[in-house]
Amino acid sequence: MLFNSIEFLIFFPIVTLLFFVLPHKYRWFHLLAASCVFYMFFIPQYIFILLVTIVIDYVAAIWIAKTDGKKRKRYLVISVVSTCAVLFVFKYFNFFNDNMLLLSHKMGFYYPEHVVSFILPIGLSFHTFQSLSYVIEVYRGNQKPEKHFGIYSLYVMFYPQLVTGPIERPQNLLVQLRQEKTFSYQNLSHGLRLILWGLFVKMVVADNIGAYVDQIYAKPESFNSLSILNGLFFYSFQIYCDFFGYSTIAIGCAKAMGYNLMDNFKNPYLAQNIREFWQRWHISLSTWFRDYVYFSLGGNRVKISRWVFNILIVFVLSGLWHGANWTFILWGFAHGLVHVAEHFTKKIFKWKEFTDKTLASVVRFFNGIKTFVIVTFIWILFRATDVHHAKNVFLSVFRNTSVGDQLHVDMKTWIFLALFIVLDTLLFNNRFDRWCDKRHFVLRWSMYALMIFGIIVFSSVNNFPFIYFQF
Amino acid sequence: MTTIKDILFRVLLVALLLVAFNFIYKAFFFEDDLQEHSGLINLVRTVVNDNCEIVYVGESSNNTARSDDADKRMISDFVADYFPTVKMGNITKPASHAGIYYELLRNIPEVSPVKTVVVTLNLRSFNAQWIYSDLETPLQKSIVLLKDRPALYNRFMLSFKGYDIKTNEEREKQFKHMWRHSPLLLRDDFPYENVAKWDKGTAEKGIRNADGSINYELTTLACHYIKGYGFSIDFSSNPRVTDFDNIVRLAEERNWNLVFNLMAENIQKADSLVGDDLVFLMRRNRDKLIERYQKNGVLVVDNLEAVEDEQFIDQNWTTEHYAEKGRRIIAANVAKALKGWYPTQFVDVAFIPDTISTKP
Repeated sequence: MLFNSIEFLIFFPIVTLLFFVLPHKYRWFHLLAASCVFYMFFIPQYIFILLVTIVIDYVAAIWIAKTDGKKRKRYLVISVVSTCAVLFVFKYFNFFNDNMLLLSHKMGFYYPEHVVSFILPIGLSFHTFQSLSYVIEVYRGNQKPEKHFGIYSLYVMFYPQLVTGPIERPQNLLVQLRQEKTFSYQNLSHGLRLILWGLFVKMVVADNIGAYVDQIYAKPESFNSLSILNGLFFYSFQIYCDFFGYSTIAIGCAKAMGYNLMDNFKNPYLAQNIREFWQRWHISLSTWFRDYVYFSLGGNRVKISRWVFNILIVFVLSGLWHGANWTFILWGFAHGLVHVAEHFTKKIFKWKEFTDKTLASVVRFFNGIKTFVIVTFIWILFRATDVHHAKNVFLSVFRNTSVGDQLHVDMKTWIFLALFIVLDTLLFNNRFDRWCDKRHFVLRWSMYALMIFGIIVFSSVNNFPFIYFQF
Repeated sequence: MTTIKDILFRVLLVALLLVAFNFIYKAFFFEDDLQEHSGLINLVRTVVNDNCEIVYVGESSNNTARSDDADKRMISDFVADYFPTVKMGNITKPASHAGIYYELLRNIPEVSPVKTVVVTLNLRSFNAQWIYSDLETPLQKSIVLLKDRPALYNRFMLSFKGYDIKTNEEREKQFKHMWRHSPLLLRDDFPYENVAKWDKGTAEKGIRNADGSINYELTTLACHYIKGYGFSIDFSSNPRVTDFDNIVRLAEERNWNLVFNLMAENIQKADSLVGDDLVFLMRRNRDKLIERYQKNGVLVVDNLEAVEDEQFIDQNWTTEHYAEKGRRIIAANVAKALKGWYPTQFVDVAFIPDTISTKP
């Protein structure tokens, strides 16, 4: 079920109302059933894949907690490998297969051709990682295994964050799922504000921009450089608004019932460098990689060469997590490279060392611009269908200086994008629902009115599924 | 108690805002949206603004001509020749069907010069592949703003994709399901129980050339004919029947004379490629439709077998695209039907089919 659909507008109030009407002991079942319904709106039979992952990790966690020593580790490995195997089969098998075939042709060895035709189950990477975080936390002794199969299933399947996160940790979500939630007007109000804000950002900003991005990426050779730059700029905001919008709605849905999900974004385009960008972008994923991969590799408490390797491997894996395509791997690698490069040149861009406030602000401003430009260009790899396409888009920026068509952008698209940028900047390190608390009733309701009107009247009529659904 | 009051107050506020938004939207934004997303409305407006008394509604069968046609005018233009003193217009939207016609006709103002409506009744539009065609999503999208609901609500439905929106894969699943599960209701000893099996059987058997080899082109075409016409209309579940029923009801409400123009299909080709069984199905579906709608007071013009094979423009596909002679024959039949309502305005056009080139 899509958040920006009629079905969801009916589903959400019913589920939330029933949640508070039902006694606490039945709520887990209600939410689990609702989550199943939510998931089965996509491809119903894929719920069994989810069930396999749930059963594996549920049983593994109990065994891990019961045993120690080598056995304990063995159960962890079995759990991680089996969970990842499901991910591999559905997401990476064809990619692996294609590359092995290519390699076999080049190297001259025999590799049998396999043709597997699967539709990637929606949100597989998200709930796989959420499931893994639970097993790892149990292994590390930070989390007791959940004995209640229903509640554990709900932890993996909790509908607001089931398909595109935030990827939660058991210490946050699992604990809350056991708590008795009472109706709170404030929670409901905050939840609805977030849903409204998320829908506005997705439907009015991201989807309207999306149409122009599609034009540019469909035929980069036929647009002039300025238009392509415009398209790249738009894509930076399309993907941000699309994913941020979804996360915000997810957080809002949970909030309405009293559950607090982690924030996934904090003004990423105001970051001073790539490191900070990743502290602000898709926080639930970047912290997952930090906690379970980067730290496991030794983090920064290693020799500098090893640290560089750690950073690159984490970013490459992060790219691979996004999709089974070389473009994603290169996208991650590019981020890793810039991260490393910035580390070695950080003295040049360290604004804090400037004693003069004005100069510091100017440097800070340019650092922000620099980071945004770098991220924007690296997004080409993320959006392109293959490496050749990415190269074509990139080169068209420099090649088409005097040729090509002009991208004609509707004024309302600019207005809504500008409005979003202003509001998002005003919200710096804050969240829309909390920010609204401090505004006067009239201002608050004027904003709600504008958003409701915008969502109904100015939403794109084109069908843009949430970009992160494919992961 | 305070919380309930707070909530009620806010719900009321939202309701008031929505009412106000509806006025604002209608006054400042609706027309632009109509032009951008539902340009079809202009076809209706043209008919109304031109004070047309007879409106011909159809798809590409109306305006498709063969390159060597001496007169490339539409069927509706040929019909108009018979009534030179009556203002006649057309609403022609390629690839559309009765569901779209209904919404368009509903948008003709209740008080208008329109007195007679001729609606294309395309037999093929009742088949599963057309009902669940990949063209359906854009068509449905184009009529959301034309629905009989508050303008803001229609825009809301458009924004939240509150219409029949499906991917091509989902549509394919739908019609393939219909092929597998809709009984053909043919003779007891007919070897296939549904279209899917009939199609597969024909493909496997193949149509043979004189030397005994399989003619793949003709086999593909035969299978296409089977999928196009191999169905038995179920009045209780076929959505197209509901669409035509809605048109009948609308015509009654508006006091319009209603004509269903049942289009010609290439019976000769169906017979030569597939055989009697398919022709039997086509004729039985025709008879069922005529019986149903004549009972409801609609004048049904039966053109099913009126056009011969060589007048069909697309020889390698099933379409209702006719060369000039074919269009003229259909127009003549429609005109004869309309004569009952316009006896004094009718002028017998000297139309001698044999004088028109029949060779493609």
